[in-house]
Amino acid sequence: MSRPVTVYEPAALAQVRPIADLGRLRDHADLLLTLSQHRIKVRYKQSRLGLLWAVVQPLAMMLVFTLVFGFLRSAPSGETPFPLFAYTALIPWTMFSSGLTSAAGALTSHAALLTKAYFPREILPLTYVVASFADFVLASLLLALLMAWFGVAPTWSVLWTLPAIALLVGFLIGLSLFLSALQVRYRDVALAMPVLIQVWLFATPVVYPLETVRASLPPWLYALYVTNPMAGIVDTFRRGAVLHQGPDVQALGTAAVVTLLLAPAAYVYFKLTERTVADIV
Amino acid sequence: MSDIDVRLDDVWKQYRLGAGRRADAFWALRQIDLEVPRGTSVGVIGRNGAGKSTLFKLLAGITAPTRGRITIEGRLAALIEVGSGFHPELTGRENVFLSGAILGMRRREIAAKLDRIVAFAGVERFIDTPVKWYSSGMYVRLGFAIAAHLEPDVLLVDEVLAVGDAEFQVKCLERIRQMQAQGTTNLFISHDLSAVERLCDRAVLLEGGAIVESGPARDVVASYHRRLTVAPAGTDQPDRGPETGAVLTNLTVHETERPTALALRTGKAVTVAVRFAATRPLSNVEFELRYYSADGKTCLAAPRTGEHGERFDLQPPGGVIEFTCDSLPLKPGAYYLGAVMRDLSTAKVLAWWDGETRVFVESEVETNGELYIPHRWRLRSADAVDAVSVAPPASGGPRA
Repeated sequence: MSRPVTVYEPAALAQVRPIADLGRLRDHADLLLTLSQHRIKVRYKQSRLGLLWAVVQPLAMMLVFTLVFGFLRSAPSGETPFPLFAYTALIPWTMFSSGLTSAAGALTSHAALLTKAYFPREILPLTYVVASFADFVLASLLLALLMAWFGVAPTWSVLWTLPAIALLVGFLIGLSLFLSALQVRYRDVALAMPVLIQVWLFATPVVYPLETVRASLPPWLYALYVTNPMAGIVDTFRRGAVLHQGPDVQALGTAAVVTLLLAPAAYVYFKLTERTVADIV
Repeated sequence: MSDIDVRLDDVWKQYRLGAGRRADAFWALRQIDLEVPRGTSVGVIGRNGAGKSTLFKLLAGITAPTRGRITIEGRLAALIEVGSGFHPELTGRENVFLSGAILGMRRREIAAKLDRIVAFAGVERFIDTPVKWYSSGMYVRLGFAIAAHLEPDVLLVDEVLAVGDAEFQVKCLERIRQMQAQGTTNLFISHDLSAVERLCDRAVLLEGGAIVESGPARDVVASYHRRLTVAPAGTDQPDRGPETGAVLTNLTVHETERPTALALRTGKAVTVAVRFAATRPLSNVEFELRYYSADGKTCLAAPRTGEHGERFDLQPPGGVIEFTCDSLPLKPGAYYLGAVMRDLSTAKVLAWWDGETRVFVESEVETNGELYIPHRWRLRSADAVDAVSVAPPASGGPRA
């Protein structure tokens, strides 16, 4: 019977083995599953509304935006009913914002656990991504109800939501890994999160269409604007789900490139920090 | 594949105290070389701050060494209490799955062992209750029971006896023995010298982050005792053994009828043996035994040979003084034992054993109160009682 051999050496960039680490992560898949499951369970245990809380945030924001734009009589949603227009963008956005906010604190909020037992640390931020994805699925069910209510039937373009969701998950994982590791050294991250999320919301085409941005910005500035992957992701999701359109290729392509660059780099940075996280957390 | 399961090559670990560039650095471990052959048990002993917990963290993979290399062959598991993985809102059952997964067990494995884990912890009735309603004892026992059901190639034990009540601690010890019998390689990192002596083949002594001694467990433990220079409370600071001519070299306790049992039982006969070495003839010597509470702070009893007028004349090279008690009056729990050797003519302490022998007491019957009083009961008929005692009260009314 061959035994696995584990070697521990000083933390150094040269010692990070992302491929082997992914293998270890697979060995601990059950932990990721159990922890995510419990994360979801705990959140709604002993609350009256239970799972409904998953949709409260995007629904509330939709109502606020609808009231504001209704008051201004200038809803920028064209022929699509504004509540549907806003809600469709708010569900990927909420997954991103609430997932990122909780995942960024994943290491610092589990200090006691980190100093007691070893397991691949990326599991902690990942569980928050999984939990926010579960909320996303629930919120999407409500989207289907809203579409029926407003008489908007999906077309084949709805398939475009799939690459948008995949990119959303990838980008959220990458940024969560980076920020959670960064927060171990700099607690400023936690303090900066609310501001970051607020600014980011308005830098993303949630309450306005991406088309308007393309029309009003010079091409170089637009190219800069879409380096925010959430622009391509949210817009593609909305176009596919309720506007019956294909994506803005430049926006979606840029989002894909940024995500593919960020996620591996963030993982390596995370694994490097992991080696000594118990000393400083 | 080699026969060495755990190998540390020139391992160093540095910590930085405080934050920022000007943080003070100190070496928690220096130049640690250690090999643990397959199927053997090695104990790591030393004072607080000697580097024991740092070594534990390095071996468990919790943190990386600053220099050097650690190689572990086989699946390593740390026997720790993982209550920190518990979520208060989740039930005991849900938490077993969570904590088990944290320790690296698969769901299927946990499901298969669930009944045994729950029985080991003794929380069968409460397994579907949220753990926030658990008593602290139940909480700790359940956390520990999960770790105790890992089946690793290499077992890392950190202060195993620091949790739970005496009965549970004995259970844990037995579980460790069982794993040893199955050929598991063991590393014990512990304050508990008597456990290290009983469970380990070899031991290393850490001081200031470095290994200062290694060898057979018994020798290293004895050497650690010699290095401790703090006298038990209430005794004069004695001179070192060679100067006074005597050293207490060991103190062992066992139940008279079951010499190999891990725990003593309330109300049963107990034998304590204090081994001493004398380098010159000593006269008019008395021995004193001390029973301390689990925290080592309260002296519960201190029987002396002098109480009975017994004083001894000792000859080199030494011997054993035996204390026996027909019925142990201690309640179930953990205790420390110490011993002192005194010269009665000068009242000077010649040697001492400083309370590092830990004993566990369990009980087959429930006893109330602080102490168990050795006793017998007898029921007598009313006639007999009247005849012997209870004469009617001296005649007449209230006293003036």
